[in-house]
Amino acid sequence: MSTGLVKILDGNTFVVSDASGDIDASRTDPTGLFSYDTRYLSKWVLTIDGQRLNSLSTDDLNYFEARFFLVRGTGTVYVDAKLSVIRQRAVGDGFHEELTLLNHDDQAVDLTVRFDAASDFADLFEVKDALEKKGTYSTSVERGELELGYERDTFARATRISSSVPAQVDGEGMTFKLRIEPHGEWTTDLDVVTAFVPASGMSRSRTRYARDGGSGRSNMESNLERWLETAPRIECSWEPLKPTYRRSLVDLAALRFSPPIAGGQSLPAAGLPWFMTMFGRDSILTSLQALPFKPELAATTIHALGTWQGTRVDDFRDEDPGRILHEARYGELPAFEERPHSPYFGSADATPLYVVLLDEYERWTGDTKLVREFEHEARAALNWIDQYADLMGNGYIWYQRRNEETGLENQCWKDSWDSISYRDGRIPSFPRATCEIQGYAYDAKVRGARLARLVWKDAALADRLEREAAELKRRFNRDFWVESDEYFALALDTEGKQVDALSSNIGHLLWSGIVDTSKAKAVVRHLMGPRLFSGWGVRTLAAGEGRYNPIGYHVGTVWPFDCSFIAWGLRRYGFKEEAARIAAGILDAAEFFDGRLPEAFGGYERSVTRYPVEYPTACSPQAWSTGAPLLLLRTMLGLEPIGDNLVVDPTLPAGLGYLELLDIPGRWGRIDAFGRERVEAEPPTGLRRQLGSTPAPRSSRQRARRRT
Amino acid sequence: MNERTATSDTATAFFEQLAERGHEPLLGKAHGTVCVELMDGTSTETWLVTIDRGDLTVFQGTANADCTLRASRELFGQVVTGEVNAVAAVLRGAIGIEGDSELLVLFQRLFPGRSGAAATESDTGARGASR
Repeated sequence: MSTGLVKILDGNTFVVSDASGDIDASRTDPTGLFSYDTRYLSKWVLTIDGQRLNSLSTDDLNYFEARFFLVRGTGTVYVDAKLSVIRQRAVGDGFHEELTLLNHDDQAVDLTVRFDAASDFADLFEVKDALEKKGTYSTSVERGELELGYERDTFARATRISSSVPAQVDGEGMTFKLRIEPHGEWTTDLDVVTAFVPASGMSRSRTRYARDGGSGRSNMESNLERWLETAPRIECSWEPLKPTYRRSLVDLAALRFSPPIAGGQSLPAAGLPWFMTMFGRDSILTSLQALPFKPELAATTIHALGTWQGTRVDDFRDEDPGRILHEARYGELPAFEERPHSPYFGSADATPLYVVLLDEYERWTGDTKLVREFEHEARAALNWIDQYADLMGNGYIWYQRRNEETGLENQCWKDSWDSISYRDGRIPSFPRATCEIQGYAYDAKVRGARLARLVWKDAALADRLEREAAELKRRFNRDFWVESDEYFALALDTEGKQVDALSSNIGHLLWSGIVDTSKAKAVVRHLMGPRLFSGWGVRTLAAGEGRYNPIGYHVGTVWPFDCSFIAWGLRRYGFKEEAARIAAGILDAAEFFDGRLPEAFGGYERSVTRYPVEYPTACSPQAWSTGAPLLLLRTMLGLEPIGDNLVVDPTLPAGLGYLELLDIPGRWGRIDAFGRERVEAEPPTGLRRQLGSTPAPRSSRQRARRRT
Repeated sequence: MNERTATSDTATAFFEQLAERGHEPLLGKAHGTVCVELMDGTSTETWLVTIDRGDLTVFQGTANADCTLRASRELFGQVVTGEVNAVAAVLRGAIGIEGDSELLVLFQRLFPGRSGAAATESDTGARGASR
C-alpha cells in the first residue's frame, strides 16, 4: 500500500485519503470511501478560497477515526498560520466529518469553503483491474443535500451528502460562504451516507440508507474499550511485547466483519483495504490464532461459513456440496456474474480447516451446542474431502479450477502463479496436490472422529474416520517423503511424481500431525537450517531452490502467520526450543513495524540486513499477520486444553525473562498462565539487542540466577 | 412467449416438488416461514414455505413470514433451474429480500448451480458433469 495514506474503517466500510483528508482518486487509485466492495466517493476535496490545504499533522485517533490539522499555504516553507483548519472524520456506514476553522487573526475574515464531491461507483475488482463501467451516473440536489447515483439495469447504488450548516449545493459539491470574527471559530458537520437502492417495484421501501445522519462513534469507542478489557492481559519483562500485543488486539478489532447473517457477531476479515470480507482460509486461520484470546471470533466463523457452505455443483463458482467458501463479494461484478464471488468456493484447504477449527473451538470452549448445530455442515465438509476433492482418485485432495476464466488457479494459501515448483524451478500442471492440504485433511479426519464420538454419538463414523486418517498418514509418509534429503515434497503432480522443492509447507505438516514421529527430527532440521530459517522466521521457499527469491511473494519471503503455525507444529512434536526461536524472530521483527506485522517480509539473512525488509506491495493490517503474535504467545506458554483444564508448559526465548497471560477465557472460566525463560538461542548477530539472541537488560539478581 | 410459459411452469413445479419432498436435510437447522412473491405484470402470486428442522410445508395464501423473497415470475423460474444465481440477483437488485437473512441463505441452498446439478443429498451427491 502507498505510504502517506490515512485509512480508517469499520467492518467493510473504509475511507482511504491523503494526509490532508482529501480523496482525489483516479480509476485505479485505491483511495476513496468504500463500502460492500463499491467505491461511494472517489472525490472529496476541501478548498478554501479555491486553494487546497496543507497538512500539519494527522492523528489516527482510533481505527475508525482520524483528525487532520491543516493550514493554508502553497506548499512552500512559509505557511499562513492565521487560520487553522481541523477535519475530524469517523467512519461507520459512510462517514461523518466535522470541519472546524479557527481564525487566529485580529481581523475578521471572509472565506469561501468548498467540498468537491464525486463518485465513480467502481467495484473493487474494477479498481484492481482498471475495467470500464457499464452503467449511468446521476446527480440530484434536493433539500440542501447532494445525491450521487449509479444505475445499471436493476443495480443501483447512491451516496448522499449533507451538512449541518446550510450550504449552496450543486451537482459537484457544496460551498459555504462565511465570515469568522477575530479569534472566532466556525464549524459544520458533514455526513456522507451510502445506500443500496432496492430494485424498482421490488420493494415497498424507498432508498435504504445505511443510517440517517448522526454518528455511531461513541458506540464504537465503548465497543473497542470492551473488546480490549475482555481480552487476556499481558505482563512481561520484555517491553516491546506489550505494544505488539495491544496492536494485535486493536487491529483484530478493526478487522472484524459482521456478515448480515451473523446477528451482529463478527468474524475476522482478511485485510485492509482490499480484503475486508468473509474469507474461508483467512477467517479460519485467524480464528484459530485468536482462540485463547477471542474465542467468539471462531464461533462466528463456524456459523457464517457453515451457513454459506456449498450445496450444489456450480462450475462458475467452483462450488461443490460440502465445500467451504473462499471469498464473498458484494459489488457490481459479482452482482452481474462477471466475477464468481457470490460467493466463490475455489479453495482446497478451507473445507478441512473448517473441521479443524470446529474441534479446536470445542476443546477450548466446551461449546458442544455449536458442534451439534453444525454437525450436518461438518459431516458434509468431511465428505467433500473424499467425494469431491480427490480429483485423481488416489486418496489425496487435489485442486484444479473449473472456472477457467475468472476462477483461482492456485487454491492453497500460496496462491501466486509460481509458488508451487520443482527444485529446478519447473512448474507442475494441474491438478495439484500440495502437501499441507493433505495434512489438514488428516487432521480434519482425526478431529472429526473425536467430535463424532464425543458430540454426535456416531461411533461408526468415528471408527471410519480414524481408519481413513491412519491410512492417509501411511500413504502420505510414503508418497511425499523425499528420501534422499529427508523432507516432504511440496506437492504431487498428476503423474504422482514429487514436486520436490523444499518449502515452509513442511512446518504445517507438523501442525497437522501427519508426520511420522521418526521423520519429525529431519523435518525440524530443515526448518531451522540455514536454507529455510532466515533468523527472523522460516522462508516460504528454501534458499537454493530454482525459484528462490528473498523478495518473491511465496518463493522466499517470510510470512509471520506461516511461522506462527510452524511454531505450533514444532510444539506439537515436542520441539519447544525451536518453537521459541521462531517466536523470538517474529516478535522481534514486529518491533520494527511498531507491533503491526506486515503480510510478509524479505527472506534475507537476519545477520545481513539486521532489520526485516517489508515486502513491497503487502497489505497491512492483515488478519493472519495480526493473529501471529497471539498464536506465538500460545506456543511460547505451551497452552493446551486437556479435558477441562488448561495445561501450561512454557518455553520462552532468551531475553523474554518472564511472561504472564492473565484471564485466559475457556471452558475453565478464566485462568492465568505464567512462564520464565530458560532457553538461550543463537549468539548476538545484530547491533541492537535482539529477542532470542541477546539477553535483554536485566537486574543483576536475574543475571546471577541465569549463571547458576 | 412459449419460453416464458415454460419458465412460469418451472416456478410452480419447483414448489410442487418441494411439497412432495416433505423433508430436506440441507435445511435441518432452519426454522421459520419463507414467503416467495412472484410478480407477473400487475399480479402477484404468493407461495409460503414453512420449515421446521428440515420438514417442509408448502402452501399458497397469506401468513406471517420470517422473510420474503420478491422476484418476477420469469426470473424466479431461471433461479430454480440454475440459469441465474439467486445471491447475485439479490446483489443487483433483481430479487428483493426482507426479513431473516439467515433463513434466506439457508433457503437458497435449494436452488441448483449453473451446471445444472440440483441440490439433493449433500452427503452423497454425484460429481460435477464437467469432471
